[in-house]
Amino acid sequence: MSDGDATPRFSFNLNGRALSIIVIVLILIGIATTSFFVVDQTEEAIVTRLGRYHRTAPPGLHFKLPFGVEQNYNVPTQQIQNMQYGFRVEQAGQNTTFSGADFPEESLMLTGDLNIVDVEWIIQYRIAEPRNWLFNVEDPIKTIRDISQSVVNRLVGDRSIIDVLGDERPQIEIQAQEQMNEVFLGYELGVTITAVRLQNIVPPEGRVQDAFEDVNRAVQDMNRLINEGRQQYNEEIPRARGEAEQVVQIAQGYAAERVNRSRGDAARFTNVLSEYQNDPQTTRTRLYYEMVEDVFLPSQDASGDDELGRSVPDLIDRNLSNFIPLLNLGGAGSNVTGGQR
Amino acid sequence: MKLLPKILTILVVLVVFVVILGPFYIVQEGEQALVIRFGEIISSTKEAGLHFKTPVIDQVTKYSAKIISWDGDPRRMPTSENQFVWVDTTARWKIEDPQLFYRSVTTIERAYSRLDDVIESSVRTIVSGNEIEEAVRDTNLINEIDREQALPSEAEQAIEDDEDLGDTQRDRLEEIADLLTVVDNRSRISDGRQELSNRMLERARGTAAELGIKLEDVVVRQIRYSDDLTESVYDRMVSERLRIAQAYRSYGEGRKQELIGEMENEKRSILSGAYERAEVIRGDADAQAAQIYSQAYQQDAEFFSFWRAIESYRRTMPEFRKTLSTDMQYFDFLYSESGS
Repeated sequence: MSDGDATPRFSFNLNGRALSIIVIVLILIGIATTSFFVVDQTEEAIVTRLGRYHRTAPPGLHFKLPFGVEQNYNVPTQQIQNMQYGFRVEQAGQNTTFSGADFPEESLMLTGDLNIVDVEWIIQYRIAEPRNWLFNVEDPIKTIRDISQSVVNRLVGDRSIIDVLGDERPQIEIQAQEQMNEVFLGYELGVTITAVRLQNIVPPEGRVQDAFEDVNRAVQDMNRLINEGRQQYNEEIPRARGEAEQVVQIAQGYAAERVNRSRGDAARFTNVLSEYQNDPQTTRTRLYYEMVEDVFLPSQDASGDDELGRSVPDLIDRNLSNFIPLLNLGGAGSNVTGGQR
Repeated sequence: MKLLPKILTILVVLVVFVVILGPFYIVQEGEQALVIRFGEIISSTKEAGLHFKTPVIDQVTKYSAKIISWDGDPRRMPTSENQFVWVDTTARWKIEDPQLFYRSVTTIERAYSRLDDVIESSVRTIVSGNEIEEAVRDTNLINEIDREQALPSEAEQAIEDDEDLGDTQRDRLEEIADLLTVVDNRSRISDGRQELSNRMLERARGTAAELGIKLEDVVVRQIRYSDDLTESVYDRMVSERLRIAQAYRSYGEGRKQELIGEMENEKRSILSGAYERAEVIRGDADAQAAQIYSQAYQQDAEFFSFWRAIESYRRTMPEFRKTLSTDMQYFDFLYSESGS
């Protein structure tokens, strides 16, 4: 506006008429360019007249009073917006990249049992009241950040680390959303938190995390050990059953053999006995001589001393008793077999 | 034709007068304004829109009427049990009484530095007057949560698979489960973080009001242990986990030994059972054989002795090296036909 005024003043006397036209044209251009505004489908616009709130404009092309008498502020009321804590999305897309940096000053917090846990979360919010959003709080984004952090900190601080890592997760999300909305309602911030999502909840990096992972490994170890034990069991027991069966079978074989043999022996004895009783004297003598023949015929069983490897018994005359010591000397350890009769 | 430039000139002069010296000023939404004449506050307004003032001599000072954030740096301070923690607080405030604000601090920057002092001192006072748990926790919820899930699912699975699990093992598993939910009952807190925040606000509010400032809230954004304490907390957390890991491993080791023991037990009882059965079978057979033998042999004991002897000779004699003497009855006929 002041530009439009200043230019003609300097050159007014040089060529009054032409410049007057230029000034008028400039003013018209100024009116044309400052009296229209566009509101996107995702937005609503707040229009102030001379600084004072005048109206809210829906999406579309709108007219306003020129030269800054009316000003429009477009606010994206339809869009859900994200805010991250403890991590940052660098570039969202098909392959969302996360910033490698950590933000421990946001994510490290104390739990109720005075442990330390690393919590990352996001919130989603929508500007519900554009007028409040614009005029009630100085730096609404920072306010949302601060309050969200404080609420999540407080909720985590109220629970033990086991609960935070485990079952209480959904509770924290629900309560965080409720409590934040309550606070923002108090500020008349004009914002609705639509979701709080806890992302990564882990023990602090480094040795603490290692220790937590070690518990998982220990569970694996436990399973492995139990399985090893069971495997050994399964290996040995069936084999032992087999061995047992074998021992019993052998015994049964022995038993059958023993009984059968005894029956055989008994039968033979009984048969021979009945013959013997018919004629004891000759049978007895016959049996005796048969035995001696069997026993003293040279056999191949013992350490042989003839050319065929048979053992040939020595025979000593009972009337040549002087021979005995000689033989005894030479044949120490040999058995002198003789009947007692 | 000279009229148009003249009108324009008048217009321009008018605009310049209004804009530069003007009797008007505009207060935007979210602003408040003071009109000051020769250093004296004439009036103040929170109404957005067009307002009048006396040209030239009246100055307008504008302040924000919005809620403003105060963000302190984290401060290291002791709790009542003398543990050092970093406390990070933020606060929200607004200029409630612009006239008083102008008189006492005038600029936002100076207001900030005054607020630094006021809020920090109240935070420090409250934190150092309370135990750390009062500042960390908000309620006694921690003692009320039902913790059903105890074992990690894998452990649960392993135990389900372990079908021949006795009562003693179950007891031991429950011990491990107790280790996992290692939340010992915490002492009850009386106030909690929200209440402490309220008290901080209460303390700071009075002083802030003297500056024309209304404190909306003071909230603890974060509480952290100081670095050396952090290390010892990490130590504790690590040792807690190691204890649990150890419990799992030794449970597994114990279970393995148990299974091996059971195996050994069963193996021995199987084998010895088999031995017993085998011996019984043998003994029965032996007894039966003995009975058969004696039944046969007792028919004629004298003949049995003779029979058994010659049977035995048949078997044993071939094993000996033999030197015979003609003393034997066998040779009786060798020296005389009468056999004497």
